[in-house]
Amino acid sequence: MDAGFWVLQFLNALQFSMLLFLLSIGLTVIFGLLHFVNLAHGALYMMGAYIAVSTANQTGSYWAAFVLAPLGVTLVGAILYFMLIDRLRTANPMNQVLVTFGLIFVFLDLVRITWGDIALGLEVPPSLEGSSYLLGVHYPTYRLFIIFVGTMVMACLWLVLARTQIGAMIRASVENGAMASAVGINVSRLFFGAFCVGCALAGLAGVIAAPIFSATTGMGISILIPALVVVVIGGLGSLEGAIVGSLIVGFIETIGAVIFPSVAAVSSYLLLAAILILRPKGLIPARG
Amino acid sequence: MFHQTHTRCIVFAISMLGLALYVILGGFFAGEIVVKIAVLAIIAISIDVVAGFGGMVSLCHGAIMGLSAYTYGVLTVKFGVPALPASIAAIGVAATFGTMIGWVTGRTSGIFFIMATLAFGQMAYTLIFKSRWLGGDDGMGGLPRFDASDFGLDMNNTVTFAFYAIAGIVVCYAAAGCVLRSAFGRTLAGIHTNEARMKAFGVNTILHRARAMGFSSLLSGVAGIIAAQHTQYISPELLFWTVSGEALIVVILGGLGTLTGPVIGAMAFVLLKHQISSLTDYWHIVIGLLLILIVVSGGRGLFGQYEHWRSTHTQKTAKTNYA
Repeated sequence: MDAGFWVLQFLNALQFSMLLFLLSIGLTVIFGLLHFVNLAHGALYMMGAYIAVSTANQTGSYWAAFVLAPLGVTLVGAILYFMLIDRLRTANPMNQVLVTFGLIFVFLDLVRITWGDIALGLEVPPSLEGSSYLLGVHYPTYRLFIIFVGTMVMACLWLVLARTQIGAMIRASVENGAMASAVGINVSRLFFGAFCVGCALAGLAGVIAAPIFSATTGMGISILIPALVVVVIGGLGSLEGAIVGSLIVGFIETIGAVIFPSVAAVSSYLLLAAILILRPKGLIPARG
Repeated sequence: MFHQTHTRCIVFAISMLGLALYVILGGFFAGEIVVKIAVLAIIAISIDVVAGFGGMVSLCHGAIMGLSAYTYGVLTVKFGVPALPASIAAIGVAATFGTMIGWVTGRTSGIFFIMATLAFGQMAYTLIFKSRWLGGDDGMGGLPRFDASDFGLDMNNTVTFAFYAIAGIVVCYAAAGCVLRSAFGRTLAGIHTNEARMKAFGVNTILHRARAMGFSSLLSGVAGIIAAQHTQYISPELLFWTVSGEALIVVILGGLGTLTGPVIGAMAFVLLKHQISSLTDYWHIVIGLLLILIVVSGGRGLFGQYEHWRSTHTQKTAKTNYA
């Protein structure tokens, strides 16, 4: 195993971390702001991938799908918000878990009815085909694109949260919703906005994952658990936590699978259990 | 706090008689359905013990059941241990694993408890899934059933096996009822209602939580044995977290915190699933919508709603009698 091999593994881990990040940021923001456990977040990711495949087939362009799929998923999320989630905000966690578990079932069958049970592929856009030479290895350009998109989203979110007034309002609402509301922040509108951004990012994750993993009915359930692990490890409601958490889980699952194949599979769960017991608020908790 | 009311006695007895009659009249096919109901009903009872009375919503009971099934499978198939000692050992392993989870997660509550149990359950799932020795995702076959020929019973007969499964429900229900009515059960309910006050009384809440998880896992272990003996084949799918999610649906469908409700829920769930899947391939969407409807409409479930209706009804009559 030479240096090139490790560079490859490093890039693979980074790419998986970025996908996890796009999903977990939505989960963590929804949890941090709304105190809502959304098990259906994985289903939104799956919807993103399927909508992308259909859009790309209709328009013949990956980029149309890249824009429209997140918008479509946001629309689905907004409908969910007004029909169910807004009502369940004050419900106990069990009811939230149950309703969103029910939603997983509903989305699963909706996808099976609309698109069928077979895995659907999505073509990599021509401009991102082939591989690029980087750090002494040839690496698929499309996977570099995923890393690029993830990093851009990270940077944008950080800028918005840390440097803008909206970001300050969101941080204030995470820390103390009642007080934020008392000083004149329209907390519920803010919540809705954050929820929509979370849905859009889940949709975005779906589009960019589709050319690599194909759109399958099982993709929502299989990504949900790692994303939840990221959110809890990082700290509920914290952007930095989601970044650190997705890097940790992404690297454990990818690099670990190379070094200690038998341990890697359980190590992220072990880490999750350890964090829950020793530092229940996560590694980098949102202040509050 | 748990009360075995007359209504609960009557409804439980009628449903057990109903299952028995169904087996006698329906033959092989009914027997298969009843065993499925029994396995689900026992897991649902065991979840109700912790979730309904202790406020601990667990997503690892599927894994605990699967662990018991695998212990049984390994002992009987790989080591040739007879079925009875193997099942006692399997139930012991399930109870120990459950107590351990309860102990370690004793300080967490709400969503953190749900996540922690999810993590432990998935850990067990992944370990078994990855283990070549345990057959990995191919699972393990050739598990024996009990040998009851000394009593003149043939366990390979579907009807006999279905009656054995029904007996399993009755025993587990009775055990859960006794434990919940004991001082321990009342303490557990107290911790659920007001943990700070119970601590002030000097109750070791973590110990009680761990014991509750242990007892509940013991019941899940019984479900695992019946499931393993039924199909005589086990696969890691038994341990996946959605199995626990489905069992939680059953508890809600019947009525959380009623103990009789989960049994009714299991019957309704299996029969409904069966009816719908004969009509359409898409039974998931029906179950999903039903679950959402039940939770949004107040979350009392079938039996819970019935009890609620009865109690408001009797209150009204009592009031008119006074007036």
